[in-house]
Amino acid sequence: MKITQIAGFLGCGKTTLLLRLSDELAEGGKTKVALVVNEIGEIPVDGKVIEESGMRVKDIGGGCICCEVASTFAKTVYSLYKDFSPDHVLVEPTGVAVPKQVKQAAAMSGRDADIVLGPAVVLFDATRPAELLDMDMLGRLVVTQVKDADIITISKADIAEEADMAMAEEKVRELNPRAEIFRVSSFTGLGFEHLKQDILDWKEGA
Amino acid sequence: MDDAGENGHGCYTEHGVSGYGVAIKLSHDQTMDEAWIKSMAEEMMVRVADLCMEHGANAIGHIKAHVRTSAGTVKADTIGTSHGAYSQGTISQPVHELYMAVNSIVQGIKEHVVAEATLDGIHQVAEERGLHVIKEKEHTYFDEFDFVKSDEEFRREFQEQLEKSEG
Ligand SMILES: Nc1nc2c(ncn2[C@@H]2O[C@H](COP(=O)(O)OP(=O)(O)O)[C@@H](O)[C@H]2O)c(=O)[nH]1
Ligand SMILES: [Mg+2]
Repeated sequence: MKITQIAGFLGCGKTTLLLRLSDELAEGGKTKVALVVNEIGEIPVDGKVIEESGMRVKDIGGGCICCEVASTFAKTVYSLYKDFSPDHVLVEPTGVAVPKQVKQAAAMSGRDADIVLGPAVVLFDATRPAELLDMDMLGRLVVTQVKDADIITISKADIAEEADMAMAEEKVRELNPRAEIFRVSSFTGLGFEHLKQDILDWKEGA
Repeated sequence: MDDAGENGHGCYTEHGVSGYGVAIKLSHDQTMDEAWIKSMAEEMMVRVADLCMEHGANAIGHIKAHVRTSAGTVKADTIGTSHGAYSQGTISQPVHELYMAVNSIVQGIKEHVVAEATLDGIHQVAEERGLHVIKEKEHTYFDEFDFVKSDEEFRREFQEQLEKSEG
């Protein structure tokens, strides 16, 4: 069972990407995929959207899985493993979570199970690159998310301006020269084959 | 181990981010179709975002809504007034009633201010559009508003009830 997180700031397109990606990973039922969604604000709006799609989804509320409810997250992943034994678990942390800590929490669930970590995929919203990096306190958070990423997808490529996308790519590359960076659109499917292959091939620590 | 985030509260609190959620049941004397519901929901999202900014927010994370009716569902959201709003979904026939869950995540104002802006935005647009508020509940996980439970949820709740009545 491989745990892959789809992280990134609020509204960057995580849930939309998660739904399309899980569909593609499932390959018409050949592979089992489960989702874990964490939202702050105490109403799981995205959880409801995902549930409607018929996917197996666990909602975690009551705080953020990278800190406050990290142990709940680890337990949830382990119980998914025991009860459903999916091949893939895709995790959507809250838009303000720190990817490195989500990874650590995920790793905690794997001590007595056949659980491996997938990459930390971080979405960067190409419709508001300047806004994201300039925000007073949040800019720092977005920078942390980008730095923690193994893969950075420049999201909403179908509507973002070319200049904004180029700027986004340049900025994130400066912040994280290590990560692979490419454009995606959950509406057109751009970049999904690439992303799927990266997740399948990923070996943590390799 | 990383030492970040081990100080007893959420990472988002440190970043000045507050979230608020509310579920609400609304009705209208006339029937509401898909286009009407979508434009109403989008207007509500933008109004809430506007009010948050007026109350001193630095940035909108997102304002999201999930609308449920007997004829289908719609989701609507905005990531800030300058970005407009977006909605998606299908309502197969006009309805009189709808259930709505709204989630606001905002940076730079306290939770009670986010709550005030969210409720004001919902109420203003509801009133302008001739909607009546039938029921409203904060921080809910849909529970009583949830009239289409998943099988799993249903079985779990049923089991809990059984255990209660036995014990
Ligand atoms: N044009 C476009 N819009 C998108 C795309 N992905 C998401 N969105 C929109 O961005 C908004 C936020 O998406 P969502 O998946 O809920 O983001 P999350 O908050 O990160 O989970 C919604 O209005 C989506 O319809 C995309 O690939 N292209
Ligand atoms: Mg989401």
